[in-house]
Amino acid sequence: MPSPMAGRPLQSAQAKIAIMNKPAPEKSNWFSVQHKIAPYLFIAPFLFIFLVFGCYPIVQSLRLSLYATNGPKSHVFVGLSNYRFLIGDSDFRTAVWNTLVYTFWSVFLQLPLALGLAMLLSQKWIKARGLLRMAFFSPNLMGQAFVAVLFGILYVPQYGLVNRALHPLLPKLVPLDTKWLQDANLVMPAIVLASLWMYVGFNMIYFLAALQAVDQELYEAARVDGANAWHQFLAVTVPGIKPVAVFVLVTATIGSFQLYELPYLMLNNTAGPKNAGLTIVMYLYQNGFVTGDLGLASAIGWSLALGVLVISLFQLRVTGAYKGEAA
Amino acid sequence: MRFFTYGKAALSFLVLALLSGGWIGWNAVSDSDRRMPPGTKKLTFWVFAKVHYEAYRKALPSFEAAHPGVKVDMQLVSNDGLAARLQNAFLADLDVPDMVEVEISSSGTFFRGPLKDVGFADLTDRIHNTGLWDKMVHARFAPYTNRGRIFGLPHDVHPVQLAYRRDLVEAAGVDVSKIQTWDDFIRVGRKLTKPNERYMIEFSDSSTDNLETCLFQRGGGYFDPQGNCILDNETAVQTLCWYVPLVAGPHKIGNSLGGGQVLTKAVEDGYVLFLIAPDWRSKSFEVDIPLEAGKMALMPLPAVFPGGPRTSTWGGTMLGITKRCKDPDLAWQLAMHLYLDKPQLAERFRQTNILPAMRDAWAQPAFHEPNRYYSNEPLGDTYARLAPDVPFQYSSPYIQTAKAKLSTALVSCVQEYNAHPDRDLEPFARAALKANAADVRKLISRNPY
Amino acid sequence: MNRNAATTAGRLATQALLIALAAIVLMPLVWLIAATTKGKNDQFHYTFFAPTLSGQNYVDLFHKTDVFQHNLLNSIFLASTTVIVQLFFSSLAGFALAKYNFKGKGPLTVLMLATLMIPGQLTMAPLFELLHWLGLVDSYLGLIIPGAVSVFGIFLFRQSILTIPDELLQAARIDGCSEFQIYRDIIMPVSRPMIGAFCLISFMGTWNSFLWPQIILHNRRLFTLPIALSQMIGVYNQEYGMLMAGTLISVLPVVILFLVLQKEFVAGLTAGAVKG
Repeated sequence: MPSPMAGRPLQSAQAKIAIMNKPAPEKSNWFSVQHKIAPYLFIAPFLFIFLVFGCYPIVQSLRLSLYATNGPKSHVFVGLSNYRFLIGDSDFRTAVWNTLVYTFWSVFLQLPLALGLAMLLSQKWIKARGLLRMAFFSPNLMGQAFVAVLFGILYVPQYGLVNRALHPLLPKLVPLDTKWLQDANLVMPAIVLASLWMYVGFNMIYFLAALQAVDQELYEAARVDGANAWHQFLAVTVPGIKPVAVFVLVTATIGSFQLYELPYLMLNNTAGPKNAGLTIVMYLYQNGFVTGDLGLASAIGWSLALGVLVISLFQLRVTGAYKGEAA
Repeated sequence: MRFFTYGKAALSFLVLALLSGGWIGWNAVSDSDRRMPPGTKKLTFWVFAKVHYEAYRKALPSFEAAHPGVKVDMQLVSNDGLAARLQNAFLADLDVPDMVEVEISSSGTFFRGPLKDVGFADLTDRIHNTGLWDKMVHARFAPYTNRGRIFGLPHDVHPVQLAYRRDLVEAAGVDVSKIQTWDDFIRVGRKLTKPNERYMIEFSDSSTDNLETCLFQRGGGYFDPQGNCILDNETAVQTLCWYVPLVAGPHKIGNSLGGGQVLTKAVEDGYVLFLIAPDWRSKSFEVDIPLEAGKMALMPLPAVFPGGPRTSTWGGTMLGITKRCKDPDLAWQLAMHLYLDKPQLAERFRQTNILPAMRDAWAQPAFHEPNRYYSNEPLGDTYARLAPDVPFQYSSPYIQTAKAKLSTALVSCVQEYNAHPDRDLEPFARAALKANAADVRKLISRNPY
Repeated sequence: MNRNAATTAGRLATQALLIALAAIVLMPLVWLIAATTKGKNDQFHYTFFAPTLSGQNYVDLFHKTDVFQHNLLNSIFLASTTVIVQLFFSSLAGFALAKYNFKGKGPLTVLMLATLMIPGQLTMAPLFELLHWLGLVDSYLGLIIPGAVSVFGIFLFRQSILTIPDELLQAARIDGCSEFQIYRDIIMPVSRPMIGAFCLISFMGTWNSFLWPQIILHNRRLFTLPIALSQMIGVYNQEYGMLMAGTLISVLPVVILFLVLQKEFVAGLTAGAVKG
């Protein structure tokens, strides 16, 4: 006879009776014990690795930043001199500036484009939505390293695809021998463009999901109230996608601060002319793992972390506080 | 039961992991079986230049035949990666090769820490005891010397000439024997250059390679023998002011699109007429731009002033034996085999066009042979004649920073000149060089070692 | 009538715009595929495809570099192993966070959130030293063990497990299931979509990762695809076709996986954002 609990891969009725007939204290002892300790057991493997390889290095890096090293073997205590050096270091300033500029464009160019694309694509009457969505998202699958290798060749002056494509359209603005990666003024636009290609589709996916979650009836109500498209956007869309938008904003910012592979590989393992492609993480890598001064690298890492923390908190505050008012 | 719990996706990953892990493990085992019959001595040898790699491959069998039981594992490593990997290997004590060829622009970086921590073996005594010191061009030991100790054997001399499209230049009615100084060259260049179509010379406006060559020719450099940064001395300022109008502004005669396939197409199209050609690069042209065989020719660098030296230097390779090498004597023997054996050197010259640092070798017949690619000129002779004039270069752990700073100064000046071609560049160039040299000095003073 | 015509015209224009944009976005990818079929001297003579297609680049890729097949295998091994390990650890921990209240849960969650905000590069230097002391540098263990922890993954699983009704678990406990059995037999089967998404996200992350493997791996035979390719640029700058062939091969597995796991991927990716 099929048991009433046939769906569950558990005991038969007989076994249940057998269990119920067991002396109660014995069973409940282990059972309740394992119920109590289960979460600790589940967390344990993760916790161990998290503490050893996640938390300990964070603390250690603070300590390390007070030393100058020549590889893992020789340490010399230098106190705050690493930080003092960074403040006065023109290369570090360049790295910070480049990273900030990149983050700015990443947020204020990429995200609106992604939102716009999502809004266009979310309309019900668009044909081949799945295909279009795939098309826009596909660059993201490549990963920064491979995109960088590809674009390094696309940006070749005179013969590369980018110049060959843009020159006929904008002959005065884009001469055929435009040196995207060798001209200090063009390196950052080149990087921003490549990153745009890679990430617009990615952020578009988030916005698409957010837009789909917005209650369509709210639009109807707004239209009935006489709101035009722009007002509908402000009154219905923006509040509706707010949580996702904040999430995307914060993650895009944090991600932009960590930019490294794309410029480094596009510029062929260098920082570009006049360090135009130098980012904070690249500077960290160069100092820590090319020159070998892990202490200075840790100091750079902490500067980066502090910067990210400050800006993320600022963003959350600004958008969160606004949200509080609107509600 | 359990993995079905996670679903098909996870299961396939698990299978993939096991399969690939198994394959890798299997490969690792069978490789070590194949490669190491008992008692085999292995020498790992890293090189970064494809040209060297190909040439050495032909030289290794004779060495292994002369030393039974020895296997040389030579690996071709990208130069950009080599310095970082080697540095890491030294610092972390890992996977350090026994011998490695290091390029001149990164050799200094290995001298950063305390002298005892330098990853290369001190070869000074060996060099003097075997009489090598007198046999090789002295100037070429300098870049690999630090705090009085020599850490590498110079591979080459690398005198610099100009390679050019003889057919196009002759068709334009130019007689290169009349070009004696840079002034002559620039005059001709202004006539021949057509913006966006044809440039006289391949000069870069962002990378330091070409600027450096000109700087060395004038007696300047990055560091002096004591390791002080001389990037802002008078020679440097004058060179920069002379160089920038050649690559920027309305009358520029130099342009560079990049290397590799881009350069090939540029030369084939006649986009650049003259190329800076140290001996190693002359071979790269032969290999990479085969369509122009017979149409190219070589001429010495124009002089800075009439009667002045007509060459400079670009690049250099040292051969270092690392301290981790278990059998430095064996490594030294390989080094001698590769660098000193005269018939070897002659053969290698035929394959690489590179003039070895050992002077005696230059008398070999191979160096007098006509080179078909370069219109049958005796390539070896033309470079050997210029060898005595090759300038000195001094090393420093900060050589890479110095190069980057020079590049920064160059780019700043180019930007400034492009914006204001009618202004006098000198004050700006002086200030730019001073600021960048100061950065290098700041780094030097920071070094606690 | 006018309004209809205007709307149709507007719709046509929008559709056309989207198709044009998609074409522009896909152009570099088309170029990539074309570049792999062009011979050494044809690379810049034709913008996209040459009249004759050649597979020589793929042959060269495996013969000239003589380690590419190892690099490919390495990437496969590293990525799939990391996926399994991360899956196990993250799902367990996510389950614990979602369905249990234990001492220290609050502070732990805050700590984990904090580390999400902290850029990973901060810990690179000390982690390198730590691994050096443990002797794990230049080995895959040095990549897998620190990488076994994915806080992002834990939160993903937590999100999705939170939606499983508690009654299900209670009923199972009454039936005498141990906690682990609950995890194995109820939670995981129900979370299959999230598992699919997580597998893909984790795979992509490891497959494309460059910085940390570059720091840890030194032996050429251990290199993963991104590192191998980056090293090839300087050496083989005459052979762009070969480089692009390597790039294409490196990209293909992720594309295939994505096509298979598309729906779960999107759902998983947005679950984190939309619900919290």
